[in-house]
Amino acid sequence: MKLAFGLQTYAFFYLGFLYLPVLFLPLFSFNDGTIVAFPIKGWTLEWYRQLGSQDTLIQALVNSLLVGAVSAMLSTAMGLFAARAYVRYRFRGKRISEGLVMLPLVVPGIIVASSMLVLFISMGLKPSLTAVILGHTFLALPFAVAIMKSAFDDFDVSLEEAALDLGSTVLETFRRVTLPIVAPGIVSSLLVTFTVSFDEFVLAFFLSGNEPTLPVYIWSQIRFPAKLPNTLALGSLLLLASVLLLVIAEFFRRRSSKSLV
Amino acid sequence: MTETNIIEMTGVEKRFGTFTAVSDLSLSLREGEFFSLLGPSGCGKTTALRMIAGFQEPTDGRVTIDGQDMQGIAANKRPTNMVFQSYAIFPHLDVGDNVAYGLRNRGLKKAEIENRVSEALEMVELGGLQRRRANELSGGQRQRVALARALVMRPKVLLLDEPLSALDKKLREQMQFEMRRLQRNLGITFVMVTHDQYEAMTMSDRIGVMFDGKLVQVDSPETLYAKPCNREVASFIGEMNFLPAQVSARQENSLTVTTTCFENLKIETNPNVRQGYGDILVGIRPEQIEIAAKQPDGYDATFRGDVVNVAFYGENVHYHVRVEGLDRPVSASVPNYFHMVDFREGDSVWLGVQSASVIDLGENEPS
Repeated sequence: MKLAFGLQTYAFFYLGFLYLPVLFLPLFSFNDGTIVAFPIKGWTLEWYRQLGSQDTLIQALVNSLLVGAVSAMLSTAMGLFAARAYVRYRFRGKRISEGLVMLPLVVPGIIVASSMLVLFISMGLKPSLTAVILGHTFLALPFAVAIMKSAFDDFDVSLEEAALDLGSTVLETFRRVTLPIVAPGIVSSLLVTFTVSFDEFVLAFFLSGNEPTLPVYIWSQIRFPAKLPNTLALGSLLLLASVLLLVIAEFFRRRSSKSLV
Repeated sequence: MTETNIIEMTGVEKRFGTFTAVSDLSLSLREGEFFSLLGPSGCGKTTALRMIAGFQEPTDGRVTIDGQDMQGIAANKRPTNMVFQSYAIFPHLDVGDNVAYGLRNRGLKKAEIENRVSEALEMVELGGLQRRRANELSGGQRQRVALARALVMRPKVLLLDEPLSALDKKLREQMQFEMRRLQRNLGITFVMVTHDQYEAMTMSDRIGVMFDGKLVQVDSPETLYAKPCNREVASFIGEMNFLPAQVSARQENSLTVTTTCFENLKIETNPNVRQGYGDILVGIRPEQIEIAAKQPDGYDATFRGDVVNVAFYGENVHYHVRVEGLDRPVSASVPNYFHMVDFREGDSVWLGVQSASVIDLGENEPS
């Protein structure tokens, strides 16, 4: 019991260390003053109200939503096919291929970002939202593959065989059986990859040129002390949105594995 | 039953890399029969079934269904339907849509689809459950949905891959009779794969026994039990006591054999085994051995032994009897007539057999 108590204390401090700084963000976003320090002067929603009237912010938000949506769809589509192949088939180079797909998780972002910048420019693709979309698709792919793999892990192969046996073509089988059954996994993957893209800074900073995404915009605003409370408010909203999206994604992921008992 | 063959497999072979799953399989299935492929797991029976269904292409040989060569014809173009071991009920569709799935592929009219679906569900005693969701079904109901979904297509051949293995014992026995009844009523050829000898015997018109990718014997359940073609088949189907025997005389249809238990007994030759010249192996089913306290009258051969083990099964009692000169005890099984176990361990008993119960299993190859 003594040990358990020690572990509990450790876990408590550990979680505090991880999440307390994050909680300061929403806390100070309601502070009626421009200096981020205790004591809190008073409570206000002013900073949130001001957000709506900043055109450059709205444009950055639209950019982020666009980039997030497109790269989520691209990476999920690729993840879907890759995962089905990884789960179903044995082929030469499968393990190497699986390892390579997961690589973006461990390669430092700054290296990916600078090499992509060089690559894209040498290909004639100037820094733009298109470049960011390509970069984010690459970055989100491991998440999409991992989620879709877990969706296919629980998928009974004989379901597809049954559809073929009952006269469906390969394409019909995919559309009428495979897709509906892995649909929760697809939704989960879309949400997670969207969140990955939406929060991403380094790649977007290198590749976005003069069309900033929201995190890049936030970074540019932090230089102005007067605007700091606005940034805190915006950051809090982003935090809330991310958490919500990930919770919903997890809900769908669990549903996908439950529905196939 | 007509004499036309609905399925012809000729010299069919299936290799996966260096592993041969099925070798030189030749088999003719008659129209309207209930045929089972029986064998231990990994013997190639499921691969054989999947080659009929079209999920696997033979490496060599030919499969024809209803006179048509099936080479290069995919599963979705074949006149067969399959009931899968896992049932493969589509989890995102309800019962009605599951059963209608294949009919919709054929582009039938809506009203006709509905009629045929409800007809098929009536047939498997699930009438009116169209709107039941797949995850609300019990194991037995799933099995019936899988049957209805395949039968509604009116296939020429219905393929069943271990259809009862996921059910508990009581339900399994009930479904055995129901599937048998369905098959009789519909007159469709059923081909079932199973590793359960009782399942195969109670349901089938004929059984094909497979070992190590080879089809060893094809016969009616009665013939398989009474005249197995070798020791493997004899021990896989039912229980069997094996005795090495010397042949002292060979006649047209009989052999005179001597074993540790009896001398110069004249037994019938088994037409299913290859006749040789040396010593042979004979087999006796446990239920055809009489066990008694005194030397029993009216038996062609009697011998003595000591009871070493008694196993009570409820409907019958198995005695293991040690006989002088034999490595393994002889097993004798007696119906439980009067709720009495007559002998105990250590009792000295007499055993009796009729010569008709002694089965010639061919040359005694070391196993």
